[in-house]
Amino acid sequence: MKTITVAVAGNPNSGKSTLINAIAGTNLQVGNWPGVTVEKKTATLKVDDLIINLVDLPGIYSLSPYTQEEVIARDFLVKEKPDLIIDVVDSTNLERNLYLTVQLLELEIPVVLALNIFDEAKKKGYEFDIEKLEELLGIKVIPTVATKKEGIKELLEMIKNIGNGIIKLMPKKLNYGEDIENSIKTIEESLRVKDPGLINKYPSRWLALKILEEDSLVMKEIGLEDAEKFIKKAKSHFINSHNEDIESILADIRYGIANAVTRDVLREKDGKRIDFTERIDRVVLNKYLGIPIFLASMWIVFKISFDFSAPFSDWIDSLISGHIKKWTSFVLNQIGTPEWIISLMTEGVITGVGAVLVFIPVIAVMMFMITLLEGSGYMARAAFIMDRLMHSIGLHGKSFIPMLLGFGCNVPSIYATRVLETERDRKLTAMLVPLMSCGARLPVYVIFIGAFFSQNAPTVLWSLYVLGIFMAVVLGFILKKTVYKGFAPLFIMELPPYRLPVLRDLMVHTWQKLKHFVIKAGTYIFAVSVIMWFLLNTPYGIEKENSLLGKIGKTLSPVFEPLGFGTWEASSSLIAGLIAKEVVVSTMAQIYVTEENKEVEAEKSLLEEFKDIIVSFVAAIKEAFENLISGFSIKSLSTEEDEELTPLKSKLQGIFTPLSAYAFLAFVLLYWPCVVVGIAMKQEFGSWKIYGQALVIHTIMAWLVAFFIYQGGRILGF
Amino acid sequence: MSITDILLAVAILGGAVYILYRSICRKKGHCSGCSGLCGKEKDNFLL
Repeated sequence: MKTITVAVAGNPNSGKSTLINAIAGTNLQVGNWPGVTVEKKTATLKVDDLIINLVDLPGIYSLSPYTQEEVIARDFLVKEKPDLIIDVVDSTNLERNLYLTVQLLELEIPVVLALNIFDEAKKKGYEFDIEKLEELLGIKVIPTVATKKEGIKELLEMIKNIGNGIIKLMPKKLNYGEDIENSIKTIEESLRVKDPGLINKYPSRWLALKILEEDSLVMKEIGLEDAEKFIKKAKSHFINSHNEDIESILADIRYGIANAVTRDVLREKDGKRIDFTERIDRVVLNKYLGIPIFLASMWIVFKISFDFSAPFSDWIDSLISGHIKKWTSFVLNQIGTPEWIISLMTEGVITGVGAVLVFIPVIAVMMFMITLLEGSGYMARAAFIMDRLMHSIGLHGKSFIPMLLGFGCNVPSIYATRVLETERDRKLTAMLVPLMSCGARLPVYVIFIGAFFSQNAPTVLWSLYVLGIFMAVVLGFILKKTVYKGFAPLFIMELPPYRLPVLRDLMVHTWQKLKHFVIKAGTYIFAVSVIMWFLLNTPYGIEKENSLLGKIGKTLSPVFEPLGFGTWEASSSLIAGLIAKEVVVSTMAQIYVTEENKEVEAEKSLLEEFKDIIVSFVAAIKEAFENLISGFSIKSLSTEEDEELTPLKSKLQGIFTPLSAYAFLAFVLLYWPCVVVGIAMKQEFGSWKIYGQALVIHTIMAWLVAFFIYQGGRILGF
Repeated sequence: MSITDILLAVAILGGAVYILYRSICRKKGHCSGCSGLCGKEKDNFLL
């Protein structure tokens, strides 16, 4: 059985990952913004007797080595020598995309051009002469709409025919003009004599062009000094006839070709008109309205997340802390399980894991809303809007993209810093990413907000997210002046058109974001709950306050005294939060929720209990939609909670004040990044130094902010 | 607590520590940013 490797390359946001998902049925992350894919990924599929390895490359504008994505993509194309390149081109922006196509042709690998987003181009009144495009470039062209799976069958058929040798394809050698062609020839001939191995290893024309461009990575890789005689000879020939650097001349030529081809193959039916995207952008990107609109849209996200998810959270809470706990206890008692194991299962595992699972609906709705904003194209605008603010801390708007991803989980955001050009930018952004409030912190916020700020729940939650962004700017400013001195380059970012995301994609990508919270609950939240139970019950039978965890908490509690939460319970929970932020809530639940908090319920038969569960679930669905429809006057999660507080919330009300609760939330938002973020930082930057810095700096900052909130609030009489 | 209880407790605690180690160090917290293709690389024979 024959196996071929097909590289899927193209400009950022041209729909490469969506195309692979459509071809291979994978669930690669997609989003309506540039830079979603930062590493190459492979999907394998079998068509008849052919095995096809599809390699999704990060989006690139050229084959120059300016960003890590470009290096990754170029390395693969040049060194792995795929059998075929699918060049995914955004047909609404043909000329700009063809610049990369021209460079791909230099690699002397067969190219099939997927003229993607073809439906939007047609809507815009564009007409393409596909045959002419094929003829001019020596490639095959297939119009596609990856989101609707249009053209996928034809594309797959083409891959199959090329793979099986039925269609022979060789890209045209585009003429770069006499001077350059002569220089290329000189270099190729010299290399053939001097180092024939190199010509076998790399595409010779491409190699010659890179030598002419003085591409630093290529020069280093092939071990040729710039001073080599033949290079000098080729360049001198060139420089004598042009008074410009060679890289710029070559770029001009490639743009010239892209422009000429576009003029030949593209016809616009109507003249230039202001489209939907431009009309929205005039408001959304307005100098004065941009940031307020961004903040308002965040508030709406939180409002909807709270209102829609609240009834489901209540339902899960009653299911876990009521029925499941009771049934587990009953079954374990019946089989004669020792008392301590029953306690471990009910007060340790079920209470600890349950405390986190209760908030899955909130996380799910918020991840859905964030995915919706990503898919619509608004998130790319958010980065653009934040550019000015980011410049004040020596970064540019592009750094805001990994930070926005951090609202889901900080770990992928650390990897996403790869989209940035310099090591300094990457490290500085990675230091700021943990200040973005990730989904794992939501359970802590929601439980405290439900207990203390029920009337203003979305606003308080929104304030925490904004505080995170604000503190990132403050910290960035300090770091820019001290550790990470430097200058932010000019920010050029392509703004994608607004699009209505496909529901299936939305659901799949929401699930991808949500999945790890669910897996975490079943794995390490479970493990931590068990460990915490042992720490809380060693020696067994003693008061929790005098347990091992209680003693550790008591020792550290004076540190938190000036912040308004100097109790052993709060200290112990915060330490546990180093593992993962959700653990703060699960540990608190184990500490505070005891058998004495349980309400006595009338005995019911198993059938009646099942009936209750189903009835309450149906009621939760009804209530969720009512909340959503009744919109902004709303009885939200919070007002419901006023009527019936969970044991943990009522316990918290007896220990915290609203002021100390807010200080606690600010501390949880800002203090040390979880250990998994540390592992990601170690992987990306090769040492624990950045994580070490983040641990110390963030914790000091969290302490100071919580101190000012609590002490300032007291002075103001809160 | 009997000796059996103590041994059982040690085994449970050991298991929990192992799951924690595996989740954090080997599975990178289950949030490695693999963007949806984890585990699909070799066996995605869908067509």
